[in-house]
Amino acid sequence: MVENLTTDVLVVGAGPAGSMTAKWAAKSGARVIMIEKRQEVGSPVRCGEGMSKDWLKEVGIVPSNRWINVEVEGARIFSPSEQVLEINEKHAGNEVGYVVERDAFDKQLAIDAANAGAELMLKTAATGILKENGKVVGVKAKRFGEPFEIRAPVTIGADGFESQVGRWAGIPTNIAMKDMDSCLQYRMTNVDCDVRYCDFYLGSVAPGGYVWIFPKAEGLANVGIGVQLSQIHDMAAARTYLDAWIGKHPAYSKGKTIDVVGGGVSISPPLKQTAGDGIMLVGDAARMIDPLTGGGIANGCIAGKICGEVAAQSVVAKTPTKEFFQAYEKGWRGRFEEKLYRNWLAKEKLCTLSDATFDKVVDALQGVKLQKLSVHNILKAVHEKYPDVTREFESFL
Amino acid sequence: MPGKKGLHIESSGQLCIYCGACVGVCPLNCIYLDETRITFDEKICTRCEVCVKACPVGAIEIG
Repeated sequence: MVENLTTDVLVVGAGPAGSMTAKWAAKSGARVIMIEKRQEVGSPVRCGEGMSKDWLKEVGIVPSNRWINVEVEGARIFSPSEQVLEINEKHAGNEVGYVVERDAFDKQLAIDAANAGAELMLKTAATGILKENGKVVGVKAKRFGEPFEIRAPVTIGADGFESQVGRWAGIPTNIAMKDMDSCLQYRMTNVDCDVRYCDFYLGSVAPGGYVWIFPKAEGLANVGIGVQLSQIHDMAAARTYLDAWIGKHPAYSKGKTIDVVGGGVSISPPLKQTAGDGIMLVGDAARMIDPLTGGGIANGCIAGKICGEVAAQSVVAKTPTKEFFQAYEKGWRGRFEEKLYRNWLAKEKLCTLSDATFDKVVDALQGVKLQKLSVHNILKAVHEKYPDVTREFESFL
Repeated sequence: MPGKKGLHIESSGQLCIYCGACVGVCPLNCIYLDETRITFDEKICTRCEVCVKACPVGAIEIG
């Protein structure tokens, strides 16, 4: 028999958002247990591994060569006719940065959490939630297959896209088909990638998503795709589209796949609720992924820091209530909710564009020196060359 | 089940990559991923087929 446990803050899931929450809750003085169903933090990887970098300092992550593969100079957007729009780091804001080794990155964050005082329990899966008088008071769990309970005034659902904890607690996290991409990626060696750039291919090659090439080293890259569920009809669409794209690109079709990664990515508007009595959700579980880029690490970590601090404060104040957790809601929403919403609207529009329109957009932007890459600046530039294209987007201008 | 189409998840590893896309997208939360085993609750499943689309490798069939 595994003994039942009690703690102040219980974090379910040791991905980046969970580890950041655990670290900041522990640093703020709370007793923290973080459980992880896998036997190893960060593995298997489920990520394209491209990451912005300007937020790391804010949450106390120190960049390290142990998890940085490549620091890119910029991004290249390829239109359907493969006109190239090059965006350097200065103009892209926080959208480019590192290509990382996600398993090593996740392990670093788990180490940071452990060193801050959090307990990490591997091979420990949450199997249900404990509720008393409508409040979440912990989880039912299994450790190496043996059932036990962990009780805590604050439970954090950091359990990723699958997001069980939130659903058990009654927080609506369902997503519409148009707000989800099905993703597949091959790590390929012997390819002609350019380590200076993360590449994005738009249009009907990837309906409602894009093909990405994130270079991990000379000759080695993550080649992946996301396709929107509402725009696909056949089984294995992600694989079919990705294989078709690779087949048309000799620089990649000559490559050899050494790894296959898949998963779901939410591209939804922000959730209306990410906290309840005794519970907060963070990261992919709280649908914090940027709906335009599909990136979730930065938002998950930024929210994780706030979540951990608020969790610890609620323990001290002995009020782990939905009301108290409004500090978390306000904190993360103030930091990036508006951008999530704006980028969701932009995604909704982009998903409707034809290949011809994508070509025009990229063409219009090629000759223009954008001060900063924003939806507004892009539309302004396109408007000057192709006013007909931007008519639909006037609300953004 | 008579009159109901059957859902089949190939999770022996021939197709399934245990990515959890089907789990996250199921509106009724009736698909379960346990390391390298995926199961679903026949009684809850309505054959809405969202998981069929979400699966990046085509491991889920309704027939």
